[in-house]
Amino acid sequence: MYRMLEIDLSTGETKVKDISGLFSKFIGGTGVLTYLALRELSSQLDPLSPQAPIFLGIGPFNSYFPSASKTVAIFKSPLTGDLGESHAGGRLAMAIFASGFHVVKITGKAEKPLYLSIDNEKVNLVPCRSLWGRSALSVERILREKEDNRKGKKSILRIGPAGERLSPIASVTVDSSRHFGRLGLGAIFGSKNLKAVVISGNRYETIQNKKDYLSLYNELFKDLAYSENTYKYRDLGTSANVLPLSKINSLPTRNFSQGFFESAERISGEYFAENFLAQQISCAHCPIGCIHIATLRELFADPHMYKTIKVSYDHELIYSVGSNLSIANAADVLKLLQFIERQGWDAISIGVVLAWATEAFQRGVISISDTGGLALSFGDSQTYLKVLEKIASGENEFYKDLEKGVYHCAQKYGAQDLAMHFNKNEAPGYMTGPDAFVGYAVGVRHSHLDCAGYSIDQKFLGRQQDIEKEVKMMYEESLWRMVTNSLVTCLFARGSYTPNVVEKGLRLLGYDVDLQWLTKTSRIIHGMKYLLKEKLGFDFEKLELPSKLTKIYTGRGMMSTVDFKERVKVYAKLVSQDMYLAKEALNQQL
Amino acid sequence: MKRKLVVKDRERCIGCYSCMYACTRSWHNIIGIEKSAMRVKNYPGIEGAFSVRVCQACIDPECAEACPTGALKPSKRGYGVDLEKEKCIHCMKCVRACSANALQWDEETRMPLPCLHCGICVMYCPTNVLEMQEVMINVQNA
Repeated sequence: MYRMLEIDLSTGETKVKDISGLFSKFIGGTGVLTYLALRELSSQLDPLSPQAPIFLGIGPFNSYFPSASKTVAIFKSPLTGDLGESHAGGRLAMAIFASGFHVVKITGKAEKPLYLSIDNEKVNLVPCRSLWGRSALSVERILREKEDNRKGKKSILRIGPAGERLSPIASVTVDSSRHFGRLGLGAIFGSKNLKAVVISGNRYETIQNKKDYLSLYNELFKDLAYSENTYKYRDLGTSANVLPLSKINSLPTRNFSQGFFESAERISGEYFAENFLAQQISCAHCPIGCIHIATLRELFADPHMYKTIKVSYDHELIYSVGSNLSIANAADVLKLLQFIERQGWDAISIGVVLAWATEAFQRGVISISDTGGLALSFGDSQTYLKVLEKIASGENEFYKDLEKGVYHCAQKYGAQDLAMHFNKNEAPGYMTGPDAFVGYAVGVRHSHLDCAGYSIDQKFLGRQQDIEKEVKMMYEESLWRMVTNSLVTCLFARGSYTPNVVEKGLRLLGYDVDLQWLTKTSRIIHGMKYLLKEKLGFDFEKLELPSKLTKIYTGRGMMSTVDFKERVKVYAKLVSQDMYLAKEALNQQL
Repeated sequence: MKRKLVVKDRERCIGCYSCMYACTRSWHNIIGIEKSAMRVKNYPGIEGAFSVRVCQACIDPECAEACPTGALKPSKRGYGVDLEKEKCIHCMKCVRACSANALQWDEETRMPLPCLHCGICVMYCPTNVLEMQEVMINVQNA
């Protein structure tokens, strides 16, 4: 049985619902949450109002199979006003499963700061006024100790001060350096006076058909732990991309001015591994171990007083506060990242904002009186650290604006052509060509994770373009991710979770499915997402390519608006068929 | 030669809990980790610091000595302990007596979870933290 726990922070009331029916129709994870969100999110809903719901959900594979380690969060994004969807690892999926639920829905608003404690069915709203204002890192230390009397493994979600300030680029940090990073879930926590969620339990499920289960489990485990499919993630991690991307003009540098970063070698995955990598760690029940933890030892007083910080890094972070700010010093990248971790901003978004501010300053759109005397320069990490401090302290209007996202800033101050966002979401770290950019624009969450266009671009490097074929590839990748994001497996495990494996796994868990059903369901989920997006104001025709990107060389050469629009149109056409399918399915549902 | 479970190289642990899933799955036929006889502990705020607690395979076990009913007894295999569930009175004295803090407790049944040194956890450790080691038992103790 799949159950949903509903919690109203205003009243403290809780409800438990059996949602097994939804799981059999929409698999779980993103499929089920999209269905639930479609009924509750509207264009009128203020995402920071008490009524705005937060859905956290896992799927049928979580805890059953290795690297099914992700939890999906769905909400209305305070950054874009559109669908907010973000996925996080850590121990959360395991803990939600152990609490006996598959979906947790949070609504309402607490009168004063509190944290939500879930231990099996036991739900407590615990006042925590003294935790308000504390960093995302310190809150975890405190709560892990405070809640240590519980027996089951805990997962701890919390916001830093950025979320309390309702910054729409605030993230929710999960356990050790995992995040619901994108699209502003942190601000929603803040708006509800919800500082943290601690969840654990000791519920379990009994294995049916052990022989077949073990045989599939072992096949997956071997592949995930030892095969080439995951080698890259275990070894250097995603930061293995830094050098190769720079070589093909695809590593965003100085606010997407070029794709070649002359100092890429000094912030490469190889450089970090050799000089800073302390160890790899993993999410619960994932043998890959992709989380790269760096240590940075710093002299803070002569002659021999040292401190050591630990902070995780990966490609996106190295791009956003490294190459895109022209910072060629790996230690400085780590220092900026630690500050960002403590405040609880999405690292991609805040990096893109800093890059925009720098270029806008250099163009004269931002003045020295805006910055309070700071001259913003690419590569000047000391000044960037000061800027982050000023944003954190809310020093003046300009700094307060910076944490509202790059779209907001460009609307207010100008230099809109320099604002690297797609549908108001700050751009991720690949400028490989049209498929990357179109992917950010058309994707359900405007992220590189929707359809991995950057990877399709690389397949077409140096080849004749084929718009229909490329867009079809993006679409098909996006569809398959509807399935894996419903299970919910990690994207790094996608090489192991092939359609046949997924079918076998679902059948073992009692789903009556075949490959055809999977395809159809993926299209229905995909369609539901766009129905929801449309309801919230999303329109393919309004999508734009930041105009700066038409003037620079990407991995695949120059971009043109015409080409961009053409690809969007092809994608929109494919999506419209899915929306039709989804409508049909929803009608039957009623 | 008999073998026991030991932690060979703690610092290699990535905290994936595959060991605990394997133990729970194999001996209880369930999905979860809370019935595992060994435990990977993590510490607040220290990214990547794990402590791996496994039964010490004592020849003269403190847990068995503390058991008032003889439910937990030194195992016939010569090291570690066996549990006779019917005799357990759920007093938890065994868990408190284990000076290595390694004996795990089943919250649901309110009984200890003695390790049988089967080695299933070792098989699923992707980074070779765990190992089965030969046990040398003095004939007098056997």
